[in-house]
Amino acid sequence: MSQSGTSAGIGFLRERIAALEGRGAATSRATRPRVSFGEGSSLDRLLGGGLARGALHEIVPGRPGDAVAASGFAAALSARFALEHFPANRASVRVAKMRQNKEVELLSDSPGSDSAPKAAPIVWILEDGVRREWGTPYGPGLRLHGLDPARLVLVHARDVRESLWCLEEAVKCRAPAAVVAELWTLEKAYDLGASRRLVLAARESGTPALLVASRLARGADRLSSAATTRFEILSAAGSRLAPAGRGPPLPGLASWSVRIVKARTGPGGCGLDREKDLAVTWDHEKACFRDALPLALPALPRDRPDRPAKARRGLARIA
Amino acid sequence: MRLADARAMHPSLACVASDPQAEAETLGAIADWCRSFTPLVALDPPDGLVLDVTGAAHLFGGEAKLLALIEARLEARGFSARAAIGSTPEAAWASARFGELRILEPDLDEKELARRLGPLPLAALRLDRAVLAGLARAGLRRISDIVLRPRAPIVARFGPALHDRLDGLLGRAATPISPRFEAPLYLAERRFADFILRREAIEATILSLARDLCTMLARHGEGARRLEASLFRVDGLVRRLEVGTSRPLRDPGLVARLLCERIDAAGTDGEALDPGYGFDVIRLAALAVERKDAEQTSAIEPVDEAADLADLVDRLGARLGMRRVTRLAFDARHVPEFAVAAVPAAASRPAAVARKRPARKDRARASAVEPRDTEKPSLAALPSRPIRLLHHPEPIETIASVPDGPPVRFRWRKVLHEVAAIEGPERIAPEWWRAERAATRDYFRAEDTEGHRFWLFREGLYGRETACPRWFMHGLFA
Repeated sequence: MSQSGTSAGIGFLRERIAALEGRGAATSRATRPRVSFGEGSSLDRLLGGGLARGALHEIVPGRPGDAVAASGFAAALSARFALEHFPANRASVRVAKMRQNKEVELLSDSPGSDSAPKAAPIVWILEDGVRREWGTPYGPGLRLHGLDPARLVLVHARDVRESLWCLEEAVKCRAPAAVVAELWTLEKAYDLGASRRLVLAARESGTPALLVASRLARGADRLSSAATTRFEILSAAGSRLAPAGRGPPLPGLASWSVRIVKARTGPGGCGLDREKDLAVTWDHEKACFRDALPLALPALPRDRPDRPAKARRGLARIA
Repeated sequence: MRLADARAMHPSLACVASDPQAEAETLGAIADWCRSFTPLVALDPPDGLVLDVTGAAHLFGGEAKLLALIEARLEARGFSARAAIGSTPEAAWASARFGELRILEPDLDEKELARRLGPLPLAALRLDRAVLAGLARAGLRRISDIVLRPRAPIVARFGPALHDRLDGLLGRAATPISPRFEAPLYLAERRFADFILRREAIEATILSLARDLCTMLARHGEGARRLEASLFRVDGLVRRLEVGTSRPLRDPGLVARLLCERIDAAGTDGEALDPGYGFDVIRLAALAVERKDAEQTSAIEPVDEAADLADLVDRLGARLGMRRVTRLAFDARHVPEFAVAAVPAAASRPAAVARKRPARKDRARASAVEPRDTEKPSLAALPSRPIRLLHHPEPIETIASVPDGPPVRFRWRKVLHEVAAIEGPERIAPEWWRAERAATRDYFRAEDTEGHRFWLFREGLYGRETACPRWFMHGLFA
C-alpha cells in the first residue's frame, strides 16, 4: 500500500473515531470556540487556540507546596472562562441574533441583560481536607485576582466521592461559567470511568470542569483519566520589582511554570512538548495570561560592540 | 420501700434501671408517630403527650373511635396508654390520669365540667407536692373542695398556680400547648392499607404527593421554600427528611427530585432510609412558603440560567446540607478574617441583588474593604490580598535582621523558607471600638526562593504593644 493510501485510511479512521466520540470536526471547532488564555499566549498556540469549553481539565501541583499555586491557576482559568461565557443553548443564540436585528428591542427585559452573561456563576467545590490544609478562597483576594467573588458559589464537600458527585451535578448544569473542584485525595474514587462521566457531562452541557488534585504532587504523569487536558503547575518566582530604597526586591505578579502533561487537542496544537516548562504570569487587571518573558532581554545587535567581549578584554590588555 | 424489701416480698420482681434519656427519646418517637393523627403534637414530659385533635377527629370516625385507635395501636406496640379527650389540655390531662370519663364533650359549660371533674383528687391539677400536702393538711382533697371556695385566701396561702390550673381545667383561661413541630402550611399525605417497601414505590408516592402539594400551592399563588417528607414506618418509627430551596418552588418534578436526593444523602450519611416492614403513611408538607407568581412560559426554549443555578444549589444543598453550599458576603470590616463571610447560597441571592442595586452603593461597601477597587487601577498595583486565607493564623518562627523589620527566613509547618522578595508592612489596626483586646498587625507579602507567595503578619507593635512580637502565617497567594 502506498504512503498516501495509509495516511488517508488513518485519516478516515480518525474521523470515524471523532464522530463516535461526538467531537467531529464540525461540532468541536466550529460551534464550540475555545477560550483563549490571553492574546498572544504561547499556551494558546500549544493547545490549538485555547482551552475547550465543554471538557475536563486537570490541574496537578508539581510539588506538595504548590497546591495553592494550582488552585490559583484554576481560579485564573475560571476567570478566563467567565470572561467569555455566553449562554450556550440554541435559544439564547436565537435571541441574540434577533437582538442584533433589532427586532426585539422592546422585548428585551432590561438594559442590564447584556451584562447578564458576565454574572455567570463559578461553582467552586472544596473538599474539607483541602480547606483544613490550605484555607478557603478569600473573597477580597479573588477580586484583586480578577475573579468576581460575588459570582462564586462555594460548595464544601466532605470527601472525594461527594466532591465528584457535586462536580458532575454542577457540570451537567448550563448556568456556571466554570466548575472548579479541589480534591484532597483521588484514591479509588477518581479513575477512568469517573473522569469519562465528567467528560461526557461537560460535553453535553458545554460547561468546563476544572479538577485540582491537591495532593497529587509529582503524580501528574501517573494519573490515568479521560481528561482532555492536564497541567502540572509549579509556582515560579515572578518578575520581582525593584524596591524604592535599599532592601530586598518586591514580589511581582502571580506566575506559574506550567507543564502540559496531556492534551487531547488533535492536530490543532503544535509544538507540544511534554517535558517543557512554560513560564506564564497572570495579569489580574486584564484577567489574561501572559508569557513570562525574562526581564534581562539581550540588547539589540546594533547596540552591541562589534567584537565579542573576550576579544574586547584582549584588546584592553594590549592597550 | 427499698429494692431489697420489694425483692423479699416478690422474688420474681423484674428490675430495670431507670434511663431518663432513653425514656425521653422514646416519648419523642411516640410523639412523631402520633403526628399521623394530627400535626399538632406536644410533649408532656416525662410520660405524656398532648395532641390537638381539633378538626381531625372526624377523619378517624369520631372522638371515641380516635381514642380507641390510639390506645389500641399503642398497645399493639407494647405500651400501656390511657387517653382522654377534653376541651382544654388540663381537662384532658386530669381525666386521662385520674378520671373515669374518657371523653368530655366539647359543649360542656363550666358548671357541668366542675360537676364532672369535681370528684377527682387535687393531684389532677398537677400541683407541687408541697402544695398538695398543704392542701391535704387543710382538709382539701378533691377539686370540688376548692371550686366554690373564695379565691383570695387560697392564693394567699398556696400561691397563684393552683387557681391558674383550675381556670385552665374549667375552660376559664386558655392555655397554649407548644407543639413539637410547627403545623405545616400545606400538607398532602397518602395512607396505605398495605404498606410499601420498595424505593420505586416510595419515589412514585413522593412524586404524586408533590403533584397534590403543588396544585395546592398554585391555587394560593405560593411556592415552597422549605419542604418536609415524613415517612411513618409500620413499627412506629418516623423518618423526617427536610429540604430547603433557594427560591419558591412549585414544580412537582423538582420537588420530588430534591426529596429523592435527600433520601440518597441519608443513605450516605450512614442512617439510610430503612423501610423495615414498610411504610404505611407518607406525608409531604410545605413548612415555609413564599409568594410565587405564575411564570410566563416562552414559546422558544426557556433560557433561565438563574433558575438552572438555583436548582443546582438546591440539589447540592439537599445532598450536602444547606450550610455547605455558600456564597461570599462582604462585610464592611477591615480585619481580614472578618471582611468576608460565607452565607448559605440558598438564603442569599447576591447575583440578583447586585444586578438590581445601583452600583454606587455596592462600590461604597467594597471600598471599605478595598479602596483601590474604585480608582482606576495603576499598573503597579499588585494584589494586596491573598487568594487563600487560612482558617486560623498559624504561628511561624522567623529570623529578622532587626526586631521590627521584615523576616529574612521563616519556618512554617516545619519547612524553612528563604525570603527572596518581600513587601510591607501594611498596618492593620485592631477594631478598638469593639470590646476585645487585640494587637496591631503588620502584614507582609513575602515570596520565597521557590516562588511561593505568602501573607505574613507580625502581631503587636515592637516596643509599644509587646516586647517580642509574634509572627503568623495568614494566607497564601497564587
